[in-house]
Amino acid sequence: MLEMTINDKACRGCRLCLDICPTECFSFDQQTAKAQVAVAENCIACLSCAFLCPSGAIGHRNHHEVKNFYRNIEFSQRMGRFL
Amino acid sequence: MSGDKVRLNTEWLCDCGGCHVALVDLHEKILNVLEKVEIQKCPVLTDEKGYPEADIGILTGSVRTEHDRHAAMEMRRKCRTIIAFGTCAVYGGLHGAGLAHSREEIMDHVYRHSPTTRTDFIPGNSISGLEKMVTPIDEVIDVDLYLPGCPPHPHFIFEGLSALVEKRSPRVGQESVCAGCRRTMVRTEVDTLREPNEGVPDNATCFLSQGYICQGSVTLDRCLAPCPNHGMPCSGCAGPTMQVLTEPTRDIRTEISERMSRLTKIPYETIRTHLEKSAKTQYAYAMATKMIGNKPTFLIRKWIAEGEAQP
Repeated sequence: MLEMTINDKACRGCRLCLDICPTECFSFDQQTAKAQVAVAENCIACLSCAFLCPSGAIGHRNHHEVKNFYRNIEFSQRMGRFL
Repeated sequence: MSGDKVRLNTEWLCDCGGCHVALVDLHEKILNVLEKVEIQKCPVLTDEKGYPEADIGILTGSVRTEHDRHAAMEMRRKCRTIIAFGTCAVYGGLHGAGLAHSREEIMDHVYRHSPTTRTDFIPGNSISGLEKMVTPIDEVIDVDLYLPGCPPHPHFIFEGLSALVEKRSPRVGQESVCAGCRRTMVRTEVDTLREPNEGVPDNATCFLSQGYICQGSVTLDRCLAPCPNHGMPCSGCAGPTMQVLTEPTRDIRTEISERMSRLTKIPYETIRTHLEKSAKTQYAYAMATKMIGNKPTFLIRKWIAEGEAQP
């Protein structure tokens, strides 16, 4: 089952994820001023939120990864070697 | 020194020397490192001119002169693991902005027409020849590990070095500088871009929300966000995030424009055009790497020409 997490410490409260999510998976906690995952079941793994999040705070697991056909494979492989 | 220590060589190429200072910034932790590591060659500590055999080689700086190229190749020959250390080594660094000009323009400006010196000749045989391009070291030699940052924060240096010595995988984050910033991103009615010297930004609110350009959201966190937490917008010194590097449709200027236009009332096009006009500043740290330079949408020479054509 697909899991979606938000790193609370990294969330800046911009609500961009609420804006972009096509299936309304997120809610906003007014008290902490941070986004929360409300209905992870709705997630279609489009990853729009992860790409738009300024902090890189949103993580997805167990989702279907689209084949890496249009990226530069050589550079993508280097990313695994970053300390 | 005992024979079971990990042998370390460090060498600097074209850089400011700050990365070597960052090693010393480990403070007391450097003692933990020295228990397990023997420093054989280090330009600021040892008088070793040759390149002894070593387990780990730390290379800082990019390849800009003939000497840099020679040193990088010697290090590769003698070290089992090479770490490209610091933004210059990984992406070409700040002097990568020199690629916006030709070698002749740079030599002329520095040696012939410098407004603060009287001499006007280009030095001949006393210095190592300037290469045509600024080259990140992985285009010259094979690199095993990358640690960007200008300089990398000691937190990441210690984690990286201890992981190597202990032969485990390092804990690496892929968050951006925003993740470590304490400012809150809020929606505002701001409708004009502001220069960094215009007014005093509010310390609790995100720079983007206030109309200031900040590169926090497109910059990999290898610094623990000191600048935005102390009142200065991020200048992107640790280089772009992974998604900017690997995704053809993602770019520094488009990502900042998209986020900022959603937070404020400033139109997307206005922000993007502003970033293109100031491209030499916005892309300074990473423009020398092919990861940015080869993007089909990266048209720095066109942007500079357009910027210079307008008054």
